[in-house]
Amino acid sequence: MRGIPALIIVPAALVVPAIGYATEYLTAPQAQQIIFPDADRFVDASVDLNDDQRSAIEKRSGVRQRWKKQQVWRAEKAGEFVGWLIIDQVLGKHEFITYATGLTPDGKVKGIEILTYLETYGYQVRNAEWRQKFVGKTIADPFDLNVDIPNISGATLSTRNVTNGVKRLLALQQLMLHP
Amino acid sequence: MKKSIKWSAVALSCGLALSQSAYSDEGLFGYVKGAEPLPKGALDFEQWFTWRGGKDLGSYNALDTKTELEYGITDRFAASIAMWGLGINSSGLMIDAYIPGDKKYPWRPDGVEAAVKYNYLTPALDDFGLAQYTSLSYFWYDVNSGYRKNVYAFETFLLAQKYFLDGQLVWAGNLGIEADSATRQPIQGLPEDFEWPLTPEMEIAITISTGLTYRIFSNWFVGAEIFYQTEHETVVGQERWSLQAGPTIHYAAKDWWATLTWMPQLVGGGTPFPGQTYNQQLIEKTSQEIRFKIGINF
Repeated sequence: MRGIPALIIVPAALVVPAIGYATEYLTAPQAQQIIFPDADRFVDASVDLNDDQRSAIEKRSGVRQRWKKQQVWRAEKAGEFVGWLIIDQVLGKHEFITYATGLTPDGKVKGIEILTYLETYGYQVRNAEWRQKFVGKTIADPFDLNVDIPNISGATLSTRNVTNGVKRLLALQQLMLHP
Repeated sequence: MKKSIKWSAVALSCGLALSQSAYSDEGLFGYVKGAEPLPKGALDFEQWFTWRGGKDLGSYNALDTKTELEYGITDRFAASIAMWGLGINSSGLMIDAYIPGDKKYPWRPDGVEAAVKYNYLTPALDDFGLAQYTSLSYFWYDVNSGYRKNVYAFETFLLAQKYFLDGQLVWAGNLGIEADSATRQPIQGLPEDFEWPLTPEMEIAITISTGLTYRIFSNWFVGAEIFYQTEHETVVGQERWSLQAGPTIHYAAKDWWATLTWMPQLVGGGTPFPGQTYNQQLIEKTSQEIRFKIGINF
C-alpha cells in the first residue's frame, strides 16, 4: 500500500465544496393562510412529547414518531376553533421534506402544502392533484401507496414518508390535541 | 505511485467537467448495487474511478474507469451503456499465464458494456426491493496485466434492498454470477519457459456482497460493505477467492451524488504465485482498492 493516490482525492475535493443550497416554496404563515384562508388567528399550540406519548402515536398510526416536539397552531376564525395546522418533517431520499398539514376539528385532513422539497425526482408531490388525494381522509383510511394515495415514480420513499407522516399527524391529533 | 500525475490529470478533467454540470441511478455504495428503479424518461450519467494496488511483490498500481449512461425506459426497466478504461503501472512481477512482464500506460479504453436492470419489487413501495441486473461486455485488455486479451463476459445479479427507520438506514445485498471467455494475445520475446497459453479459457465467478449505510446528516451516508468473490475454471476448479470489506461514504444532492469506498482485501486464497507471502489472492486481485463514483442526473 503506497497511500491513497491523488486521482481519488482530486475529484472528491472538486465536487464536495459545490454543495449547499435550499429551496423554500412556502413559509409557515403562507401555508397557514392557504390551508385555512378564513382563519384570522393562529395560536401556537406546539406540543412536547415524552417517550410514552411517542410510543402511543406510533401504536395508533403504525408510523414511528421521530420528533419530540411538534409545531402546532390552533386556527381560529372570529374566536372560534376551526382546526389545527401542523408543520412536520419527514425523510426524503436525501434531505428532510417539510410540509404543513391542516386538520379539521373532527379529525379529517383539510389540506397539505409542501414547504421544502429538495429531492432529485418527485416534484409532483407539490402538485395540487396529488395533495388533493389526502383531503377528507381520517386515521381510519389505509394511507397505502397505490391504494388510496398514488405513488410517484422516482420518489417512492419521499411519497411514502409524506403519506405515513400525515397519518401520524392524525394520530397526534387524536391523542394530544384538544380544542 | 510515481506516475499518478497523468492519471490525476484524467481524473481532474472528468471531475471538473462533472462538477460544472449536475448526476445516476444513485450509488449508495461503491461496490454493492441498489435495487431502486430509475424513473421512466430519466437519464443518468455515472463515472467510476477504481484504484487497485499492491501485489506483495514488485510494484503494481492500476486504475479502472467506467463511464456510463443509463436511461429509464419504464418505471421498472432501465438500460445502460458503458465504456471501461484502464491505466496501469506494473513492474518487477512476472506470473505464469497472468502477468507476462512490466506494463505502463496512463489510460486507454479497454472495454464496452451494455446492461439492463429490471425492478421486480420497489424497496419503498413493497417494503423490500428486488431487481435484476444483466450485462454483456467485451474487453480487449486484461485488467490484471494490462496486456492484450479478448474477454467476452455475461453477468447477471439479483439485487436486494431494504429501508429501515423511514430510510435513514439502508441495507442492500447482491448475488451474482459472471461467465466469461478469454483469449490471450501473442507476445513476442517471452522467456521460453514462461507459460502464456493462447487457447480460450472459460471462467465462472460468483459474487456475494452486502452493505449497510446510515444517514448521519441530511445528504450524507456512512456505511460499510463486504464483497466476496470466487472464480472457477475448467482446468483448476476453484481458481481464486477473496473477501474484501471496508467503509463507504456517500453524499447526494438534488442533481448529483458521489461515493467513496475503501475496499482492502481481508483474506483470499486459490492459486498463489511463487514468492507470495500474504494470505490473499494477489494474482487477479490486489491488496487494496479505492473506488470513487460520481453520478449526475439530467
